[in-house]
Amino acid sequence: MCKPANIFFLFGVLIFASCKVDPKIIEPLPVSGLVEVVPEGWPLPKYTFSVNTLSEEKFALGRALFYEPMLSADNSVSCGSCHQQFAAFANADHAVSHGINDLVGTRNSPGIFNLAWHPYFMHDGGINHIEVQPLGPITNTLEMGADINPVIVKLQASSRYRDLFKKAYGSDTVNTQKMFRAMAQFMGLMYSYNSKYDYYKRQENNETLSDAELRGYNLFISKCSSCHTEPLFSDFAFRNNGLPVNVFVKDSGRAHITGLPGDRYKFKTPSLRNIAKTAPYMHDGRFTTLQQCLDHYTKGVTNLTNLDPLLQNNGLQLSANDKQDIIAFLQTLTDYKFLGDKRFSDPNF
Amino acid sequence: MKNIIKFISIILLTVFISCKKDTKDPEPVPEPMPVTPTSGTLKIEFEHMFDTVEFNLGQNYKTANGDTVKANMLKYYISNIVLTKNDNTTYADPNGYHLLDVSDPASTILDIPNIPIGSYKSLSFILGVDSASNCSGAQTGALDPAKGMFWNWSTGYIMFKLEGTSPQSGSSTKTLTYHAGGFGGANKVQRNFNFNFATTTSNITGNNSPYIHLSVDVNEFFKNPATINVATQYFLMSAGATAKMYADNYADMINFEHVHN
Ligand code: HEC
Ligand code: HEC
Repeated sequence: MCKPANIFFLFGVLIFASCKVDPKIIEPLPVSGLVEVVPEGWPLPKYTFSVNTLSEEKFALGRALFYEPMLSADNSVSCGSCHQQFAAFANADHAVSHGINDLVGTRNSPGIFNLAWHPYFMHDGGINHIEVQPLGPITNTLEMGADINPVIVKLQASSRYRDLFKKAYGSDTVNTQKMFRAMAQFMGLMYSYNSKYDYYKRQENNETLSDAELRGYNLFISKCSSCHTEPLFSDFAFRNNGLPVNVFVKDSGRAHITGLPGDRYKFKTPSLRNIAKTAPYMHDGRFTTLQQCLDHYTKGVTNLTNLDPLLQNNGLQLSANDKQDIIAFLQTLTDYKFLGDKRFSDPNF
Repeated sequence: MKNIIKFISIILLTVFISCKKDTKDPEPVPEPMPVTPTSGTLKIEFEHMFDTVEFNLGQNYKTANGDTVKANMLKYYISNIVLTKNDNTTYADPNGYHLLDVSDPASTILDIPNIPIGSYKSLSFILGVDSASNCSGAQTGALDPAKGMFWNWSTGYIMFKLEGTSPQSGSSTKTLTYHAGGFGGANKVQRNFNFNFATTTSNITGNNSPYIHLSVDVNEFFKNPATINVATQYFLMSAGATAKMYADNYADMINFEHVHN
């Protein structure tokens, strides 16, 4: 198979020139700067673009689509409405998602970054491939089986999109594969690996961690990293971390997909990168602060069916100071370079 | 102006022709020589029945359980078609995936082109989409998710989709909704079919228009081994044990009728 490093190598370094983006004309932005070798010490990504050959034009199309309200039935909501860059592409202040017609979903919008390493998507892992992920929000899970064809018709009727498709694929015919692969390029290239923690680990910029941050890091390694495993800060397993079940929603998590009793109330371990920016927390956004998350692990763990063995001894034992230190450490996981990266911003502004 | 275009076209044509001559090493076969074909096209025809009568959308039928059902949609995938010759060599249909839609009669006759000439004794295929194609991201053609045969919340193809109505249906709208999917593990819903043509072989000579005639008994969806009672069993929209139960029912719904050479 193709080694990702080789694919990335094909892209020469292009300077991210001082090109001002006209609100109407969407210039393809240089992808090259984004396409990095696999960060030091990381496993190889699962999604390598080997079939979906990277190009700046496809990336630009994917970027336009990500911020395109025409993807929703009433042209009111884009992916970017629920996945905001300043929140590491989570949805700030929204416990659960708000869609078209103010329909309220049942789950919290997760941050989007390092998706190329995810073996599956959504809190329940129901989606098995980054290229088919956009189908869910577009066709709206609240109406299962709704149709994507009207969206294709709208895009096909837009001269701007015909032009973007033509530039990306040589033909202006719109279809789902072209759409989804372009979006997979845009989302799949959102690598986040330049937090203070990363600089410290790579011994770049003479980065150091404070005493509190270091104490927090050590506590993290002993208490949290069996599930929130470095370097991605997730083991991508389905686990039950002891949240009491919301009786109104009764979200069965992974079991919703597999139907297996052993998967009830298990959710995909979320990455904790950029965690200070992705509040509210947990699959249903029930917590608004990191303090509440840590209090959950010491005081709130509920022994329901399938509680993870690692938490069965009354959750985790942490002092108030330990929690402060862990929070200090979690704050070193914010990648400001990623949050401000213009290549991922809304091209219409 | 026109002359210039003509002139350029002639030049281009000349270049094109000379290029063609350069690259083709054997001289073109002279006109009168009869060409011996090396391959031919086979049609596989799926005729839909309900028990022994012709099946049509919008028509009432009585199931084994005694329920009156009327379908308004029946679609399913046929894939991985393989033909086996008398000498046991095989030919696999490179097109891979076919979506049969009873509302579109043309889709129920599959064209399998480029089959090497010879006598074929058997045919096999899968009802459904193999696991690999359920895990390969955005596909085109019959597998385009825009065909409405793809779940958006739990990745995977709906391999078999039957929708309709029944006065006995337990749903408040008297509808029947059966979407069978699930591509791996014990509850997968793909089913293999393998037909030996018995006495007659299907002969691909390249000069004939052979076809294989199959019949599809829709009533098999409602019976054998599980007799479906639409008062309680009117809805399926996920993978799992229930989907498998329906798949076990449709596992014998396609039958071989005859070959025609
Ligand atoms: C109405 C708000 C909303 C919109 C609009 C929306 N999303 Fe989401 N997104 C969510 C929620 C909520 C989840 C978690 C869903 C779940 O687990 O069931 C999610 C999950 C995701 C994930 C999975 C992340 C992970 O870690 O598994 C990706 C990728 C994603 N969305 C991309 C998109 C794209 C692309 C679009 C536009 C086509 C989009 N989203 C539109 C709310 C939204
Ligand atoms: C047994 C595995 C496990 C351990 C140990 C664990 N977690 Fe978690 N954590 C999870 C799972 C699973 C979730 C997602 C739960 C959900 O969404 O319902 C989660 C969610 C979180 C969240 C919310 C993330 C988000 O994006 O919403 C935070 C913050 C968090 N954990 C921090 C920690 C910290 C800090 C520790 C150590 C003190 C820790 N976890 C230990 C499994 C674990």
